[in-house]
Amino acid sequence: MTQWFLATLMLLLSLWYLTFLATRLDRLHHRVENSWANLDVLLQKRAAVALEIAHSDIADPASSLLLTSAAYQARDADIESRSAAESGLSGALGLLLEDSQHLATAADNALLTELSSLTDKIRVAIAMHTDAVTRTQMVRSKFIVRIFRLAGTAPLPVTYEFESDVL
Amino acid sequence: MLSRSLKIGIVCPYSWDTPGGVQNHIRDLAEYLIAAGHHVSVLAPAIDDTKLPDYVVNAGKPISIPYNGAVARILFGPVAFSRVRQWISHGDFDLLHLHEPAIPSISLLACWAAEGPMVGTFHAAAKRQKIIFAIGPILEPAIEKLSARIAVSEAARLTLTDHLDTDAIVIPNGIYASRYHNGTPQEKWQGNTIGFIGRFEEPRKGLSVLLEALPVIARFAPDVKVFVAGPGDLTEVEKSIDPQLRHRFEFLGKISEQDKANFLSSVAIYVAPNTGGESFGIILAEALAGGACVVASDIPAFDDLLGHGEFGALFKSEDSTDLAKVVIGLLRDEKKRADLAIAGRSRGKSFDWEIIAQQVYSVYEMSIVASEKVKLASDTRSWNRFLSKDDK
Repeated sequence: MTQWFLATLMLLLSLWYLTFLATRLDRLHHRVENSWANLDVLLQKRAAVALEIAHSDIADPASSLLLTSAAYQARDADIESRSAAESGLSGALGLLLEDSQHLATAADNALLTELSSLTDKIRVAIAMHTDAVTRTQMVRSKFIVRIFRLAGTAPLPVTYEFESDVL
Repeated sequence: MLSRSLKIGIVCPYSWDTPGGVQNHIRDLAEYLIAAGHHVSVLAPAIDDTKLPDYVVNAGKPISIPYNGAVARILFGPVAFSRVRQWISHGDFDLLHLHEPAIPSISLLACWAAEGPMVGTFHAAAKRQKIIFAIGPILEPAIEKLSARIAVSEAARLTLTDHLDTDAIVIPNGIYASRYHNGTPQEKWQGNTIGFIGRFEEPRKGLSVLLEALPVIARFAPDVKVFVAGPGDLTEVEKSIDPQLRHRFEFLGKISEQDKANFLSSVAIYVAPNTGGESFGIILAEALAGGACVVASDIPAFDDLLGHGEFGALFKSEDSTDLAKVVIGLLRDEKKRADLAIAGRSRGKSFDWEIIAQQVYSVYEMSIVASEKVKLASDTRSWNRFLSKDDK
């Protein structure tokens, strides 16, 4: 009698643990999606600001061309080339900003402050996303999670190798 | 992005009526957010129900336990848990901001009970503790629910990565820098004076290091005076002061904010000899903003805050000889004092709430997704959902 009782208890406990793990994983997948959505929006905004800068007086014709193409590349990049394209845009913006700080007028300054506040936010968003992704990968690599296929059909999230110090 | 007014729930783990860095931080943040037009409710344990501001909800009487070199007044247990759950389900919050969710407290309970957008701020900096290997696996699933983690300093971030294997965004503590800008120098505190502010009874505040250094300092600067401000019981400290040097000390007790500003702009040197357990050093940031020339121990938090000596002088922690050397050097060099004070003041300004709160708020914005609200975790569990569907 006691054995049966214990066995049922064990079974219930392990079932509870499995659902617990599954909820945990589900939550993590949500976090990955949300943080990516945030990051995506911010990056799109940055590309838009970059285009505006390219059309303003801050940029000389050559860097304007460079910036425009980098911004379009970042916008149109598919998921595999996104990371490289965004890094390219960071590089183009960095090049331009390095030597244009002193000759910007008031109107352009507004653009530059917008860009720098965006950059701050992007840094935070990258940190949040990377953390969510690494946590998810950690939980998904657990033996129990793999053997019971608790992750279901959700794709394994990957970190995007953005330059950690954009600009 | 979002510019609507949010309902924010903040959980304070420590007793609201005892003074402390975390409590001050939460009070300032809450008041700043309220002034910005948001609805804020702070859940905190408190001994005395009557003196609470109207945005604070009492979670019950705290108990005292020793933690991280000090006595922490915190609260947990089944009754507290049900209060936390009640607060969450009645609050209808857009976001929860939990402070210090990794210690057993109502913050951890809230983290456990809630589901939805949550931000956690980690204040403590401590050396790696073995106990965490035992409780880490229990904490992890809870800490994981936070959509963003904030550490108040590089030291706090390292503590977090060490203990719980997760990264955090560093947003320093905020101060109202403008309050300390226009202190008027008072003659009674000027001259060869050394200032100290803090709960001097606590060993980790390091007043004893300063006491040991004083005989040496007094030999080189016979007219030196030490002013100690802050609440505490004098009898213990007085025993450890050399009777010959007793008249060099003056205890000011707890001083007002205006006096603090005056004090900081008057004293020749502000000393922070803390021996550890400090994560950020809010008083040091205030001293910088107040235009004081700062001398601090080289514990990681202070080293970081003072830019490795750029914004204030550092001495080897717990080494009174080194402290004496640095203080004497500065007392003799008025130009260097002035230079440090000027560099420090601009450093202090960067911790102003105007800047810090903006950073915190942008983390809030990123954590809130698609106007999802904070709910109780138990409401979203599948079997409960199943049951409640049947009811309808």
